[in-house]
Amino acid sequence: MNITYIYPLLYGTLLTLKIAILSTSIGLTLGTILGFSLTTSNKLLNSIIDGITTVIRGTPMLIQIAFFYYALLPTIGIKLTAIAAAIIAIGINSSAYLSQVIKSGILSINKGQTEAAKVLGLTTYQTNRYIILPQALANMLPAIGNELITLIKDSSLASTIGVMELFAQGKNIISQTYDAIKVYTLIALIYLILTTLISIAVTMFERKFKYVKN
Amino acid sequence: MKENLSMLKIENFTKKINNQTILDNFNLEVPHGHVAILLGPSGVGKSTFLRTLNNLEKLDAGKVTLDNQQMDLKTINKTHLSGLVFQNFNLFENMTAEENIIFVLEKSLKLKSKEAKQIATSLLEKYSLTDSKDKYPSQLSGGQKQRLAIARATSIKPKIICLDEPTSALDPYLTSMVAEIINELVKQNYIVIVTTHDISLVKKLNGTIHLMKSGKIVESADTNEFWNNPEKFILLSKFTEIN
Repeated sequence: MNITYIYPLLYGTLLTLKIAILSTSIGLTLGTILGFSLTTSNKLLNSIIDGITTVIRGTPMLIQIAFFYYALLPTIGIKLTAIAAAIIAIGINSSAYLSQVIKSGILSINKGQTEAAKVLGLTTYQTNRYIILPQALANMLPAIGNELITLIKDSSLASTIGVMELFAQGKNIISQTYDAIKVYTLIALIYLILTTLISIAVTMFERKFKYVKN
Repeated sequence: MKENLSMLKIENFTKKINNQTILDNFNLEVPHGHVAILLGPSGVGKSTFLRTLNNLEKLDAGKVTLDNQQMDLKTINKTHLSGLVFQNFNLFENMTAEENIIFVLEKSLKLKSKEAKQIATSLLEKYSLTDSKDKYPSQLSGGQKQRLAIARATSIKPKIICLDEPTSALDPYLTSMVAEIINELVKQNYIVIVTTHDISLVKKLNGTIHLMKSGKIVESADTNEFWNNPEKFILLSKFTEIN
């Protein structure tokens, strides 16, 4: 394979990482809001969130990306680049999964600590920010790491709306070189390296929360 | 006791949970520098009373007066009038012993970090926790957790200190230690309310015992008077004999 193909592969790799990181950021932010909402006793709000997450989790991400870019955005008259549309669509999809992870993470923390904080005069924000979230995060880290790994792999779906991420770059190179075995092997290796690095980073991050495991 | 206005006065506390009456026109008076021992088996409403007084449960009906001023229980947490030591301690698991106190002082009392650290250091010393200041709650023994929970509750300088079943998870030696701490809190003029069914703890305290049944107090006695003449208090004698 010609050395000149390294540049598009590098560009594709960086774009894949960009999509995965930004989508996870959107997913985490939205997922945290939805996850906290799901721990409240507001039945109407919980039903609405449950309904949305059921639809998102029950339909293929491929259709969601295409629907968002080709149907929803033109209908409501918003113009976005394919990359931005893919990041938002994947981020929303991710938030549905992460909301459940975050809800379980919050519920795994002993309610007594929230009660102790209330009696000591701490606000709900202070309690959630400094006591509940750090502990919930420690419990959620493996699941969040898995979600980031899944998103790195799923970001290849963005190629269906014309985003030239790693997989799309690979297909482009194959169309010029007809060397499918080498290119697909190389792409698979790059995905493997990215996901392995994330696994290692998550494991290192988990060790920082030593109080959970004594 | 009734002429003394410097006290906590609970009048007709009523609390229902799922249509079941847990507190039934509950009345209690506790002066400063005194311990009220709420005695009784599980399910008579002892913990619910402490939870209601500390605004963890909504009060259905009743009145609270502290030093002749009527209190709104909805503001009791913000005004730091009452501290509660939970049966399970409920320490902040992601913070060290020292941080458990400093965090409360900085965030709730809005103290500067230097002052908060000084107060935390002296509290940890007072409760023999200096060597464990950097340990997380999961690394502390039962007795250390109990002392830290008491230190944290007193850090906000409340007027009332409530202890819910403080010796339920402790051995006889640690029970004596907790009794000493409670007697010390009384000497410091706190209004102390202890719920328990542990007679070995009651024997080590000087205050008023209130036997609870079905959400109300059915018999009360001064500790000295009761242990000198138990036969005068039929219900209390019966309960302490069984337990």
